Parts: sequence; structure tokens; C-alpha cells
Amino acid sequence: MEGFRYIPKKQLFDCSVPLTGARKFFVWDGVPEGLPFENVSSLDCSADFGISTRVERIHYAPRDAESSLKATIIKPNGEEITQVISVRVSPSPLSERTVIECSPEGKYNVVLCSHTVGQERFSTKGQIEIHVCRGASLDLVVMQNENSLSRHESNYRIRLEEEASLSLNIVTLHAGNVTNRIHSLIAGKKATCNLNGLYLADGQQIVDTDVVLVHNAGESVSSQLFKGILDGNSRSRFEGEVVVSPAAQKTEAYQANNNLLISESARASSDPHLVIYADDVKCSHGSTAGSVGDEELFYMRSRGISEKEARILQQQAFAGTVLEKVAHPELRERLSHLVEKRLRGEDTLCAGCSKRCC
Amino acid sequence: MENLLEIKNLHARIGDKEILKGINLVIRPGEVHAIMGRNGSGKSTLSAVLAGNSNYTVTEGSVTYLGQDLLKMSPEERSWAGIFLGFQYPVEIPGVTNVNFMKTAVNEHRRQKNLPPLSAAEYLKMMREKMAYVEMDPSFSSRGVNVGFSGGEKKRNEVFQMAMLSPRLAILDETDSGLDVDALRIVANGVNRLKTAENAFVVITHYQRLLDYIVPDVVHVLYKGRIVKTAGKELAAEVEAHGYEEFE
Repeated sequence: MEGFRYIPKKQLFDCSVPLTGARKFFVWDGVPEGLPFENVSSLDCSADFGISTRVERIHYAPRDAESSLKATIIKPNGEEITQVISVRVSPSPLSERTVIECSPEGKYNVVLCSHTVGQERFSTKGQIEIHVCRGASLDLVVMQNENSLSRHESNYRIRLEEEASLSLNIVTLHAGNVTNRIHSLIAGKKATCNLNGLYLADGQQIVDTDVVLVHNAGESVSSQLFKGILDGNSRSRFEGEVVVSPAAQKTEAYQANNNLLISESARASSDPHLVIYADDVKCSHGSTAGSVGDEELFYMRSRGISEKEARILQQQAFAGTVLEKVAHPELRERLSHLVEKRLRGEDTLCAGCSKRCC
Repeated sequence: MENLLEIKNLHARIGDKEILKGINLVIRPGEVHAIMGRNGSGKSTLSAVLAGNSNYTVTEGSVTYLGQDLLKMSPEERSWAGIFLGFQYPVEIPGVTNVNFMKTAVNEHRRQKNLPPLSAAEYLKMMREKMAYVEMDPSFSSRGVNVGFSGGEKKRNEVFQMAMLSPRLAILDETDSGLDVDALRIVANGVNRLKTAENAFVVITHYQRLLDYIVPDVVHVLYKGRIVKTAGKELAAEVEAHGYEEFE
């Protein structure tokens, strides 16, 4: 345990989404390079690395040669942001299970970050179980920042009880081939379920989003806004289904998927649908795929904003409508900053990290 | 004195349709020119061509701005060189705030002059000062560019942007359209405050009323893609009284 103090700062992965007062948990799936000891099968320590925030705890998930299962149970604390940073350093396939349990009437903030370190062909299967109990509210931000060879499949199983509220924002900053499969069940009345996603892809990257949202109880509101900016030969696929059961009267459900194609060869497919069995509901859905507006571009250029800057402003604006759903101002700002860097083709690494993982 | 702008025999088309059929125009520093004409006479095409809108193709003629071939310059290069187009229909840019938009523009102009970018405080001070020119509420700065602005607010925003960029040559394309008398006066006052002996304005309009506030040195009548008459400010009153028929 003493050894941690002597790790050069730069060799530690520092996902410094600089959240004041956040509790940070680093979860490694292997031995990070530079650790000065060999056997770290179970680590649970508290250490101050003097980076940006205090690292409360570092978990090391032991694994066998073939694959392993890593489980994280998150019981967020009402006042703080709980940030769990999952760092992949070991190339064998990994299954992970994350459970977020929100007690009745509580207000919770959780950030899940997934990173890969190194140029390995990582493969991750994640199961994220979210249970928002009666009257509780959860603000969950998922940040995906992995290398172009990585494959990541995340299955979200969500259950909302009466008057529960969830805001899920998935930001796919960089990933090789990522699937986010969300199954959300509104089990109690007067619940609110907001599912949002922003995906940025280029090269040969693929981003798939599957959403099934079931309204099983009435007077609930759901909204979905998934937006993608696609460059190079990247592909995105969105399939979204909202089911309103016969019991779910007075449901409001909105769903939108918008894609901005910034290269000729990028492709987006979108398949939103509504299945409604109740008659007193307000529902809408829609999808778009388009390129940047020439008129807007000319207007900006006529003010002296170069074409490159004008395009970045437009893309930031496009992304901004998803990012503004992130309630925490500091986190929102940090994400906007990372998105801007990504759009500019700069590093999207978290500050202070020396690993070239993307 | 050196000419600011010299247009010679300018022909331009959109698609297969020729709209400008040989425009000749010389503008010197300190001058205000008014270009009047009916819908479809080519007024907006002329302004779009001068600002570098790629929807229009120049087929013949030349445009020289401060000794440079303007037609070879990109829209942003024209802006950096001091040309400003006040749009007839200012474009809405959802998600880009006015403050971010203008700050980016001002700092790009500064970068071209090898000046450091303005600090947030310096920018704010400049912005407040220029907003006052057009009696614009500072709350507009945090809104999306032109999003949800009324017609008058959009035009005020154009003049505000002009004030921020202090151009050498400003072309105002029907800045008066859709304005009530009060908004017209505010916009015109803003323009008049920016007039110097160094810069010049081209005011494009259908009507004389704007020219009561922004008094031109020269008035041109554009008809079917050509300037058919050029005279002093009295020409505007003549057009107002008799319409465009006599030029047909």
C-alpha cells in the first residue's frame, strides 16, 4: 500500500473530469504500468496523489487468463458525485457488471467513465443495472473514451418506480465499435425517464444504439434525444422503441435521433418507433440525417470566421443540445471541452494522462 | 484618393440565370452609396457576389478592393480585409450563442492582424459598448444567433456585428425591410455613428425612407442587372414619387 505514493504521477491514469467534491473510484482490470509491486490482487487504499482530486479508492479486479468478471456495486451518496473510472489495460475479454442502487427519495449523481490504455484489441461486455426507487432521482453520465480497436457492448437494465426520475446521458467520445443497448422499464406512476446520447465517430468506427423503453404505469414522461456526428467511414445505427402499455394512460413520450454527416462516406441509419396500446397519450418521434447548413456556414464566414472554425462551431452547437441535458455545470463544461477537442481532432485524453489510448 | 471598391462590367449568374449584366461602380472612402431597384433587379445578387457567396457565379468582369482582386478571396478573407455584408435575411444558428459567435469572429480578425485574442473582460466591455449603439439588450448575447429574434432585433444584431468588426466597406442589404419607424431610426443611428472619412457604405433598399436617415452621397438605380441611372440624393425622392417605370 505504501508503494502507491511512489508511483510517478504521470503513470497513473488521471481521468480528471474536475468535479469539485466528487468521490473518485478507479477500477483497473489489470496491473497498471509502473506499479512498483507485482501482487495487487486486492487493493483498497486511500491515497492523495496530488493530481486534481483526491483518489479515494483503487480497486484491482483479479482475473484469470481467459476472461473475468468484475463487479461494482455503487451506492451513491446523496450529496456527492460518485465517479467510477474503469480503465482497461489487460487485453483479454472482460465482463463487467455495475449495479447502481438508488434508495427511495434520494438524489444521486453518478459518472461512469470507461477508458482503454494502450493499443490492444480490447473487448468488454458490460451489464449496468439501475434501480431508481420510489421518489428517487438519478443523474447518470456515461463517458466512453476507448481506442479505435476496442469493442464495447453495454447493456443497461433500468427500472423506475413511482415518481422516480432518471436522466441518463451517454457521451461516446471515441470508441472502435460500441453498442449501447438500453432497456428501461417505467414500473411506477409519475416517473420521468430521460435517455440521451451523443456519439462522435470517425475512421472505421461504429456506434450502435438500441433503446426499448416500456411505459407500464401511467402519468409518466419519457424523452430520448440521441445525436451523432459522423466523419470518415464511420457508421451509426439507432433503433428505438417506445412501448406504451394499456395501463399507461396519460403517458408522454418523445424520441428523436439526429445525425450530422460531415463526410461523404459516413452513414447513419435510424429506426425509431412507437408502439402504443393506451389511448390518452402524447407521443412523438422523429429522426434526421443531414449535413451542415450552407447558409449558416456562409453567414459565419462572412463575419470572418474561417470555414474550419465555422464547421466546428456548428458541430459544437449540434452536440450542445445533448450536453445541455447534463445537469451538473462543472461536468457539462468538462464534457463540452472534451467534445470540442475531439471535434478539432485534438487529444481527447483526460488532462494529465500520459497514455495514448485513442 | 484611392478607390475603395471598383466594379467593372460585372456579370453574375445563379444556376443558368444571368442576373447581373454588366455592373460598373466606383466607391471611394467616406462615401455613402444607395442602390435602389425593384425586386429581381439584382440588388441582393450584387451584395452576395461582393461578400463571396458561392451560390453565384461570376462570368465576366472584375472587382478590385483596395487594389486586390476581390473575386479571388474567400468570404472570410473578404471580412478580414474589411468588407461587411448586412444580410437581408440574417441566418439563425441554433446552439451558437451570439457572444460565442461574435467573440470567435472578433478574435479571428485580431489573429489576422497578429493581435492577441481579447480577454473575456475586454470582449464584454467592447460588446456592451457596441450593443448600446443599437439599443440592444445585453441579454441577447447569451441567446442563439438570431434564434427567436424579431425582424427588428435581427437587423439590430446585424448593425451590432458591423460595429464590432468596424469594416471599411459595409453593404447593407435591405436592412430597412421589416422594420417599424422606431427600429428604422435605431438601426440608422447605429450606422451613422460608424461613419468615418475612411469607410464607406452601400445601402441597398426599395424605399426612400431609410435614406431620410442615412443620407447618401450617390444614388444608383438598378434595373435588370444594370445600373441605369446614377445621381445625387435627389434621385431617391424621384424614384419614390414616380416609381421605377420611367427606367423601363
